[in-house]
Amino acid sequence: MKIKNILRYLPTFIFCGFILTFMVFYIVLPKADFSPQEKKKLAEFPELNVQTVMDGKFQKELDTYMSDHMPMRNFFVGISADYELASGRNGEKGIYLGRDGYLFPKPTKDGELLSQNAGFIKEFGDLSSVPVYMTVIPSSGSINKDKLPMNHEVYNDKALIDKFASQLGDKITYIDMTAPFAEKASDRQLYYKTDHHWTSGGAYECYSLLGEKMGYQPVSEDKFGKETIDGFYGTSYAKSALWWVAPDSIELWKNKEQSEGSVSVEIDDGEEEEKKTSDSYFFRDQLKNDDKYTVYLDGNHSLVRIKNKDAKGGKLIIVKDSYAHTIAPFLSQNYSEIIMVDLRYYKKEVSMLAENEGAQAILILYSLDNLANDTNISYLF
Amino acid sequence: MFLPAVLILYYITPKRFRNLTLFIVDLVFYAWGEPMLVLLMLVSVVINYVAGVLIGINREKKKLTKAIFIISIILNLGLLGFFKYIGFIGETLNFVLPFLNIPVIQVSLPIGISFYTFQTMSYTIDVYRNTVKVQKNIITFGTYVSLFPQLIAGPIVRYEDVAQQLMERKETLEQFTQGVKLFLVGLSKKILIANEMGNLWDAVRDSGAAGGAAGAWVGIIAYTFQIYFDFSGYSDMAIGLGRMFGFEFMKNFDYPYISKSITEFWRRWHISLGTWFREYVYIPLGGNRKGLGRQIINIGVVWFLTGLWHGASWNFILWGVYFGILLMIEKIFLLKLLKKAPAAVSHLYAIILFVFGWVIFYFEDMGEMGTFIARLFGSDGFMMSGDIAATVISYIPLLIAAAVISTPLITTLYHKIKSRPVLYAADNAACILALLLCTSSLVSSSYNPFLYFKF
Repeated sequence: MKIKNILRYLPTFIFCGFILTFMVFYIVLPKADFSPQEKKKLAEFPELNVQTVMDGKFQKELDTYMSDHMPMRNFFVGISADYELASGRNGEKGIYLGRDGYLFPKPTKDGELLSQNAGFIKEFGDLSSVPVYMTVIPSSGSINKDKLPMNHEVYNDKALIDKFASQLGDKITYIDMTAPFAEKASDRQLYYKTDHHWTSGGAYECYSLLGEKMGYQPVSEDKFGKETIDGFYGTSYAKSALWWVAPDSIELWKNKEQSEGSVSVEIDDGEEEEKKTSDSYFFRDQLKNDDKYTVYLDGNHSLVRIKNKDAKGGKLIIVKDSYAHTIAPFLSQNYSEIIMVDLRYYKKEVSMLAENEGAQAILILYSLDNLANDTNISYLF
Repeated sequence: MFLPAVLILYYITPKRFRNLTLFIVDLVFYAWGEPMLVLLMLVSVVINYVAGVLIGINREKKKLTKAIFIISIILNLGLLGFFKYIGFIGETLNFVLPFLNIPVIQVSLPIGISFYTFQTMSYTIDVYRNTVKVQKNIITFGTYVSLFPQLIAGPIVRYEDVAQQLMERKETLEQFTQGVKLFLVGLSKKILIANEMGNLWDAVRDSGAAGGAAGAWVGIIAYTFQIYFDFSGYSDMAIGLGRMFGFEFMKNFDYPYISKSITEFWRRWHISLGTWFREYVYIPLGGNRKGLGRQIINIGVVWFLTGLWHGASWNFILWGVYFGILLMIEKIFLLKLLKKAPAAVSHLYAIILFVFGWVIFYFEDMGEMGTFIARLFGSDGFMMSGDIAATVISYIPLLIAAAVISTPLITTLYHKIKSRPVLYAADNAACILALLLCTSSLVSSSYNPFLYFKF
């Protein structure tokens, strides 16, 4: 065949080559059970028999299986993300690409749940014999407004948080972070670029601000030695599929004066699971994983007990989401024992826990997004 | 995954058995989505096959053939009526005569029944009229009815048009390449434009009153694009796939949105359906040969049925009647005026009317339709507010692209390319790009609703 004819019929070969390669890849490539990027278990090959074929179950499940085990999935999702960005639809996957390599999850929307959760927390505060403090962490997009892309949905965090705080009643001491964070955002990176969480710096600012109301003297910043770990690609990065965005670095702050063996961390996932202990706030094993944020206190667990022999204060209970993992090591400088509970896993009464443990204070710390979407706040009491 | 297997099977089959291979593949394809209802399609194949053969044998006995013909039409329409309209009929009767309290039977609609019923009927009618030869081979006939590329969303291929190809066709590399290109064009229309326009339309509806009149217009324009790119994309894919297997189907869309009148719009939109109704309803009823009065009635009947064909719901009938009335008005006097009017005026006239038609087409719930129409005219203010504005802005590039692709501009430019190497380079680059982008979109989202499932 002449060159000209080859070119002429090339689309046929491209097309057939493409679909055949796919078929071969499907059959040949090994199948994973779990996608670390999407954090989900992938579908298994469906059961094949007359029954499942006749009612269409086999066909449906095979379709899911095929889409789950798509060869080069990340490559294609990446192309689609780039195409969306190029055709004007920044944020199509729920994440905006902002200036300076910032990725922002789309704004939190108001809903019933936020007011409902405020109601639960108010009631908990009214009944509690221990002083209750509360703070809400605004989203990265609402604080780094100057880094947002030109066209974006409105971040109403301040209005939502103010409304939430006004519903808490007068027994709870509410400490606002929105205004000070907006102010501090220009001198310090408070949030990761590729993750929705705050940085150690952001958590430290919050720790300094809480001290005044909670009655402790924050350890000054120069007392901490900072260790930098590079190559952190957060959850916003995974969701955005913009694979070319630069990674963040994680800073681990460690009190230089901390004496050997003074710290102990005990992780308790309930009766069936074995307890895990450590002598550090940081779980370096987790740095091998994709989600390096779990280096702080090993990620989400039902109950974590953090002891520090060097600290002067008493016992603090933290009811929290994952943002607290970064701030707990700071608070641990002032409280000799912190009991951190996660209501998504801890299903016993927190008020009972506070009484039994003889806690000195309770801190409820949530990010706005979780507060507006979490259905487990009712487990407080 | 399905396609490569089918292509391999088809091309390793000796020529004589290729119809059989296609027929089996078609049945597997259909059974994939509807394991039980494939039997219904087979029943339909058998009814029309038998009717055709019987009419052929008894050609001389006029009364008998007429009886067979009528029975087969009743059976065809009966099946379609039962599976598509029984629930609707029950609900309507209950509404009109509430005291009867007829139990409403809910039957799930078999995919493609409207399309294949019309195809089989075209065969039986033509056999009865003695314009086509009887097909004695049930495999060949079955292949015609169930041909997978167009089974689900058309075009409605008349037996007459493919009779020759069914018996003997020559698959060539040239035709295959044309098929690949057209298939990719269709796939891109569906995935890169129709699906995205669907997302925008959904977002607008979800935002409710916040969109105001501006949002509502953007929304219905997005839907206007969605339905065109979806449907014409499927038609292109079907025609393209058909070519890969050596078939030539007729064109189903011819840039309907550049029409200057509704009459022209319907000559360019879903051509195969229009042809079917003209051929088998309008002309047998007398068409325009029995005076204007009779013609008006005929138009009314055809458009009532066209509306009903699109779905078992009053809004589809309303939609059909809406176009029927517009066509009558155009026939009586408006068309002459439009011809004299400046092009911009007649374009605008047509665009507003067909866009408004899609409002009627979309809303099955009359209450929602009313709310939406009121919103189009400013009942919730005119400006967009809040997040919907950000969404709409992000879709502007795609809306512009959709508008451009709705016109023949790109095709015209493409045909202007005279240099072969440039042409081939463009073809190949476009193919690679289309494959990459479509695969990516499909992989990245499970959002893939199928608009024409209902028909």
